[in-house]
Amino acid sequence: MPEILVQYQAEIVRSIGETFVMVGVSILAAILVGLPVGTLLFLCRKGSVLENRFIFSTLNLLVNIIRSFPFLLLVVFLIPFTRIIIGTAIGTAAATVPLAIIAIAHYSRLVEQSLLDVPKGVIEAAISMGATVRQVIFKFLYVEARSGLVLGLTTSIISFISYSTIMGVVGGGGIGDFAIRYGYQQFKTELMMYMIIIMVIFVQLIQFTGTTIARRIDKR
Amino acid sequence: MIKLHQLSKKYEKFEAIQSVSLTVNKGEIHGIIGASGAGKSTLLRLMNLLEMPDAGEVEVDGQTLTKLKSRELRQARKSIGMIFQHFNLVANKTVYENVLVSLELSNVLRKERPGRVMECLRFVGLESLMEKYPAQLSGGQKQRVAIARALANKPKVLLCDEPTSSLDPNTTAEVLGVLENVNKSLGVTIVIVSHEMDVIKSICTKVTVMANGKVFETLATTPQGIQTIDNHPQYFVDQLKKDKMDHA
Repeated sequence: MPEILVQYQAEIVRSIGETFVMVGVSILAAILVGLPVGTLLFLCRKGSVLENRFIFSTLNLLVNIIRSFPFLLLVVFLIPFTRIIIGTAIGTAAATVPLAIIAIAHYSRLVEQSLLDVPKGVIEAAISMGATVRQVIFKFLYVEARSGLVLGLTTSIISFISYSTIMGVVGGGGIGDFAIRYGYQQFKTELMMYMIIIMVIFVQLIQFTGTTIARRIDKR
Repeated sequence: MIKLHQLSKKYEKFEAIQSVSLTVNKGEIHGIIGASGAGKSTLLRLMNLLEMPDAGEVEVDGQTLTKLKSRELRQARKSIGMIFQHFNLVANKTVYENVLVSLELSNVLRKERPGRVMECLRFVGLESLMEKYPAQLSGGQKQRVAIARALANKPKVLLCDEPTSSLDPNTTAEVLGVLENVNKSLGVTIVIVSHEMDVIKSICTKVTVMANGKVFETLATTPQGIQTIDNHPQYFVDQLKKDKMDHA
């Protein structure tokens, strides 16, 4: 192993850990909140099963507004909110708040898009069989859209990694922050290159896993 | 079995169905034919309230569907099977799972499900393909899976929306054969919408002709039997030559 990596081993491991925490929380938020929000966006649109203009317009506007922010600005803008929730606006835990919010907005759009790809006739068949809305979602929509949902999540996770590199501004740490502070600001270009290589490897692994799973579960 | 009373349905300003009344008797294979835009599919979709009428009543098997609450309507729909022109199977479920799902929706006991699924697949002659996915099947086989799915809950009525319109003549005959069998041996009342005269003539015992959102005429007919088409190339040649002779 190159000497410089050995020298900074402890910091590198800690940074990778911080990135994992930030990206992990983002993924959880995307699945636990983004998926339902995206599903609601789909179900409440005009002509859909739960058509509801108010819910649709509200969610739609909210998602659009969050996604309009340059991410750095969103992080700063949310500082007071983060302080209320976490108790501090500084550190890895605090960094997860803006990340979770952008994760929800990001993935919910991709969920909505995947669900729009499900043929309308399949939903119609479900309704003609007497399915409840819940059954339409779990036994038809998600089954039919599952590879799109996985691919969307893959794309989202890679974006989350990218977003997490900005979190240095609120002391969130992470591998991106490490690369900037040690590699760039201390002129250790070699160290910065190694960090970039680590991130490239992560992204490759995630994309490969996502694509493989999506292909396996797609029987269409 | 099905009574439509003064049904009307509008889309924007277009009056798709204008005050239609129609009775489908128990045990019939009732055809609905007409030009495209005549309102035949809309009329069929009104029979299980996939489309809500603007006015009028729909009664199926003694229940007035238009008066039911949504929970009761869902229950009622379980005894009204429906199949579609594009089959509408779940592509990510196997043949077996596609039939199983309709049992999962109605609270059939878990241990009774596999037997019932196999019974339905056997009825349409597809038990050997139970592990396949829809993408691996022919059009005719897909429609037979859809029929098995519709039959799983032992419906009293089967609504068929252009069931053979995306099939070639051979598979059309195959699907019509199954539908006739559903009617004869299970006693299911069938309503079949089609723009193909041959399809209507072959199995229907009563036919409603529609035009411009209204019933033009309803008449009793004698089913003329399903024409099977010879797959031999010489058959096609003969047919082509015959047409030429006719025009000469």
